[in-house]
Amino acid sequence: MINPIVEILNSKSLRLAAAVICLLTILITTASAAHLESLKIPPVPADNPQTPEKIELGKRLFFDRRLSGDGTMSCVTCHDPETGYSDRLAISLSYPTTKNWRNSPSLINTAYNDPLFWDGRAKSLEEQALFPMMSAFEMNQNLDFLEEELKGVPEYVDAFQKVFGREITRQRIAMALASFERTIVSRNAPLDKYLDGDNTALTPEQKKGYEIFTGKGKCAQCHTGANFTNNKFYNIGVPENSVLINDPRVTATMRFTAKVSGYKEYRSLTEDPGRYLVTKDKKDWKAFKTPGLRELALTYPYMHNGVFETIDDVIEFFNRGGGVDKNKTPLLAPLNLSDAEKRAIRAFLLEALKGDVTVVKMPDVP
Amino acid sequence: MKEYEGRMRLIVKHYPYKYRDFSHIAAEASLAALDQGRFCEMHEHLLKKSPKLNKANLISYAKELGLDMAKFTDSLNIMKHIKIIERDKKLAIDMDLYNTPTFFINGRKVVGNRPYEYFKKIIEEELK
Repeated sequence: MINPIVEILNSKSLRLAAAVICLLTILITTASAAHLESLKIPPVPADNPQTPEKIELGKRLFFDRRLSGDGTMSCVTCHDPETGYSDRLAISLSYPTTKNWRNSPSLINTAYNDPLFWDGRAKSLEEQALFPMMSAFEMNQNLDFLEEELKGVPEYVDAFQKVFGREITRQRIAMALASFERTIVSRNAPLDKYLDGDNTALTPEQKKGYEIFTGKGKCAQCHTGANFTNNKFYNIGVPENSVLINDPRVTATMRFTAKVSGYKEYRSLTEDPGRYLVTKDKKDWKAFKTPGLRELALTYPYMHNGVFETIDDVIEFFNRGGGVDKNKTPLLAPLNLSDAEKRAIRAFLLEALKGDVTVVKMPDVP
Repeated sequence: MKEYEGRMRLIVKHYPYKYRDFSHIAAEASLAALDQGRFCEMHEHLLKKSPKLNKANLISYAKELGLDMAKFTDSLNIMKHIKIIERDKKLAIDMDLYNTPTFFINGRKVVGNRPYEYFKKIIEEELK
């Protein structure tokens, strides 16, 4: 016969144990969300394996201004190896006579990103590569025309045959570009060495910054993993860039993008809706992708509209708990960082994440 | 230029955009103004008024600046400075430039419009 007291105790114990397990699960989940990793070899899709010849072809295409409608722009225009594979402008360069509306993301470690773009509209580098070429305010090229244009260049005809065994198509152009872009990485940062067991790799101040990054600063809620991004989207209340609001050419770009994205009220749009244009989900209004943070010292200015010129501006912004927006994520709250803590996190971000970046020189473009 | 007066020299080269209707004549207008010692004023004016840069627009801007209109319109009519413009274009093509504006600050290349502070930092470094 079972003792009723014991049975009650057992039942309570079970509930307690269940509660402990739940708590542990929450703690483990939280810890895992704040987990940073050293950088490993980037993932490569099975249907587009890397080969030296394909990478070289992609590099030549990357530098080739035939990819733009008027022959004035190549991928390098906005992703210059000399300026952190970005263009160091608040708002990216644009097709002549037009204006862009977003900051050009650096391509460093883009191989680890999924999805891509500030609004995540591309699921792979292969998909991403065609967007700027077609965009009216970026490279403004017609892809049918581009295919024929490249088929008129014997060096490209030969190269595509060698790499793919097939003729030039837009998909293969994108595959070659993606293969090249996967080689643009930053490795061996002090943090990688530290995470792999070298306790001397970080200075005391950088270590303090690391602790704040993963602790009090709550940065690693979103800037997590090997590339410092959870690849998710948040509205953090980034202020509008006033330069953009007052430029009718930017308004045209914004409304054009909203129109082709199926946003019915595009004519009255006055701000960048961000991820919303992709999902049409209200919770994504003005949400933008969490960017990776490696090589931050090279990739200023910051945010989707380049509104912050320095990393100090960014630290102050998060210290205030982000910006003001009715749809802002509840993840942000004031941090009350001391000046010493701000300096430490600055040292961590600018120095500990600085590694060996792929060096690319201009190839012979046929 | 005011901030670095006497320590810096600005050289402007012309690279009119090939697909813009009025870019060549606007370059001519700036050089016609240069003949009357008013290049900088006209240059500023053209940047502010772009893309309204047809011949009638340019003549009205010259009037606003108080230029000698007979000399100015003559320059536009005969494209007096076309050789200089073509020479500059060739230079840009030879240097593989393709974006305007492009700046060279003691050889350091800067592409596109930038905030003043961006230039200031480079200029300060070069003046050291």
